[in-house]
Amino acid sequence: MDLITIAGLILVVLLVLLGSGVWIAVGLLACGWVGMQFTNAPSSGYVLATTIWGNSASWTLAALPLFIWMGEILFRTRLSEEMFRGLAPWLNWLPGRLIHVNVLACGIFGSVSGSSAATCATVAKIALPELKKRGYDEMVSLGSLAGAGTLGILIPPSIMMVIYAVAADVSIIQVFLAGFIPGAIVMGLYSGYIAVWALLNPGKMPPREPAMPFREKLRESAHLIPCMLLILLVFATLVAGWATATECAAWGVMGSLAIAAWSRSLTWQSFWASVMGATRVTCMIMMILAGASFMSTAMAYTGIPNALASWVDSFHLSPFVLIMALMVMYVLLGTALDGISMIVLTTAVVLPMVSAAGFDLVWFGIFLVLVVEMAEVSPPVGFNLFVLQTMSGKDSLTVARAALPFFFLLVAAVVIITVFPATVTWLPRLVFPS
Amino acid sequence: MRRVLDWLYRATGWLAGLFLLAIFFLMMVMSIGRQIDMNVPAGDDLVAWCMAATAFLGLAHTFKSGEMIRVELIFDRLAGRSRWVLEVVSLTVGLVSVGYFAWYAVQLTYDSWRFNDLAQGVLPVPLWIPQMGYAFGLVVFAIAFADELARVLSGLAPTYEKPAPKTAEEVVERAIQSGV
Amino acid sequence: AQTKWDLPSAYPPANFHTQNLNQFAADVKAMTGGKLEITVHSNASLFKAPEIKRAVQTGQVQAGEVLISLHENEDPLFGLDVVPFLATSYQESWKLYQVSRPAIEKKLASQGLQLLYAVAWPPQGIFAKKDINSVEDLRGTRWRAYNAGTSRIAEIAGAQPVTVQAADLAQALATGVVNTFITSSATGVDSKVWESMTHYYDTQAWLPKNVIFVNKAAFDRLDAATKEGLLRAASTAEERGWKLSQETTRKNMEIMAQNGMKVLQPSPALADGLRQIGSRLTADWLQRAGASGHELINAYKSK
Ligand code: NA
Ligand code: NA
Repeated sequence: MDLITIAGLILVVLLVLLGSGVWIAVGLLACGWVGMQFTNAPSSGYVLATTIWGNSASWTLAALPLFIWMGEILFRTRLSEEMFRGLAPWLNWLPGRLIHVNVLACGIFGSVSGSSAATCATVAKIALPELKKRGYDEMVSLGSLAGAGTLGILIPPSIMMVIYAVAADVSIIQVFLAGFIPGAIVMGLYSGYIAVWALLNPGKMPPREPAMPFREKLRESAHLIPCMLLILLVFATLVAGWATATECAAWGVMGSLAIAAWSRSLTWQSFWASVMGATRVTCMIMMILAGASFMSTAMAYTGIPNALASWVDSFHLSPFVLIMALMVMYVLLGTALDGISMIVLTTAVVLPMVSAAGFDLVWFGIFLVLVVEMAEVSPPVGFNLFVLQTMSGKDSLTVARAALPFFFLLVAAVVIITVFPATVTWLPRLVFPS
Repeated sequence: MRRVLDWLYRATGWLAGLFLLAIFFLMMVMSIGRQIDMNVPAGDDLVAWCMAATAFLGLAHTFKSGEMIRVELIFDRLAGRSRWVLEVVSLTVGLVSVGYFAWYAVQLTYDSWRFNDLAQGVLPVPLWIPQMGYAFGLVVFAIAFADELARVLSGLAPTYEKPAPKTAEEVVERAIQSGV
Repeated sequence: AQTKWDLPSAYPPANFHTQNLNQFAADVKAMTGGKLEITVHSNASLFKAPEIKRAVQTGQVQAGEVLISLHENEDPLFGLDVVPFLATSYQESWKLYQVSRPAIEKKLASQGLQLLYAVAWPPQGIFAKKDINSVEDLRGTRWRAYNAGTSRIAEIAGAQPVTVQAADLAQALATGVVNTFITSSATGVDSKVWESMTHYYDTQAWLPKNVIFVNKAAFDRLDAATKEGLLRAASTAEERGWKLSQETTRKNMEIMAQNGMKVLQPSPALADGLRQIGSRLTADWLQRAGASGHELINAYKSK
């Protein structure tokens, strides 16, 4: 059989398995096994056990459970509530007023949490009822929360970035650094859209609230201090040379525990609940990574990734066209798949392709995170949509429609980073000039 | 039997949690230790092994709690007999795949013991020791699949099925558990 | 009949070992008249470095390339080329390889492996952020320890051994988690070490080797002519590899100097101190390796 037929067959098997509700990790394992049958490897079972052990017993991956645990601890504190109170008084002068809280709070919460859905849910829990109570338009409120929630994976720390960095074998800290400016760009795009929308729809804005005295504003903003200290702690340990890129995740946990203790939400029970919660998420992700690493190995044995890379190469697409074509592919995948699966399923095949086209793999990591963000807000399967659907009680169509402008703003962000790649690579190159 | 199995899933899950704590403590000791002139020999290897132990020992517990993700697009639109058939098919594919994986993980660990394979870092630890968590975790995971398949075949609802969240807190918790 | 082999390697395509390996695969095809085809999977795309030997041993792939000293815990013999300051130049390293080759071949054969060829890495030098004029100057520095030898050097010199994974190294160097370490100039250039380090001491402390081996059973299945062609290609690759390694070393020194690093020869005091550390470490090694080790060292020293 030629490689294209084999690739097609594996793809069909994968789609049938995943479609029929087989667990994603299991589907990947099974597909890896199917792929191995077309190679001259004597025993797929031994290859399976060896590669997965090699990929799982990994120092770098150990940052993943710690970042997840950090989120679990913070979810049990009042951090998001305090963030709303701290930010709200300062935003009354902007067109769009408190809707900007959604963007800012998600941005700040995103810099301590590594997950998009968790960021969206945590901020929405406070912001949705508050904004509704004050008479803000619910569609913009929902849409901005769906969109801004995805900042959780674009602004470091980020579970997706750790997964990508491990899959692509690039430095985690460089991918983290690369996320800051695109994160700021996306926030700017969101806030800009909200402001323009508010100027065009003055009738949909609630009446202005009485201004708060400056001293009181400051007092309210004191609520932001714990969160800021936590962000500062993680970076200080890194910059001062107390911790390596992987170890700073442990410092993040330490800081989160301190916040939880300080806000009196730390009990033995909540501590252990956060540990077990983090363990379950870790196991879920690690099993998917295990399945994916076996499938990648099977692919490497078959030689499909290289063949595909040289096939795409033969079209002589310009880098821009290639990236736009990949974006369309990922948007389609993203309608039905979650972000982790999207990354682990495609890296084996796509990475050789983009390296051949001369793309920086750190840059490509940010591109991938942005398309995963689109997937989080695109129907029918988009986790941020599910979150907001349950929280607002609206149907899925309404939430998806509310999120649509923000989906397109993410497309715009991809175009921006493609046309100006320095927006991504400038910061990591500044810190690690190579 | 039921109680023994449930205890097994819970106990391996807790062990996984303890290994997660161990990762945290080791990293803190390595980080602070550097400031006070104390090195943890092969600390990186120890963390890597704890990572593998966490990942695999907790599988059965995670699966039973309904936190292994699957694409539910078609599944959610089915009910009754056809849903049951699809559930049995998924569980069978799962049992065969995970069983196959577990068998070879045990084989790998046994080979490491037979060949007396040693770790390659500063501490020459026999590799079968850290690989125990890998092999054992996968065996328990395979048992959990067999257990669920037996349940569904006998007409019971699978344990991993969860009702939709009701309160905002539940939504947040589910969102965190999604990992995305 | 045509035979196809897979050969995993952990190093990137641009590395001279990989380039040599690709040329070797092409030579094998030519020298066996197309009867044996080897696919090189570089950059750890098939197996990661620690797993390659086991994969070849158990027949998951037919051949592989590994840094043999990774397996020194298995048998001290595999760590002979990383005994610090035992063989400190390409000539000495080659001599040590020739003396130890039969023993290494025998050990590998007992594990079901057949040695094809071995190529040395560029010599190991000390990278630092300050003048290191004697071993005393290493005291109290944060020294990266990644195997038995580098840990012992830190211990003897009074440096603080620090465990840092390769993935974290760039950041660790930039932020001062580590401020001295010993490695090959190749690693130094690959990781653009001049961004955080200022001094390179060409101590030539040891020359670790990459070894390319094949599963014995897979080798035995080849016909006589193909075996002969394979071995011929291997010896060509070995010769070419050692030359490439020396060229790479020369180029690396130039690149480091061009990028503003002080590329220095160790002072007599430093060289002397290191030699003393070296003799203690050789004694350590002999203790682990026993009688056969003594024979090897004696044969090496008398040559
Ligand atoms: Na984040
Ligand atoms: Na989607």
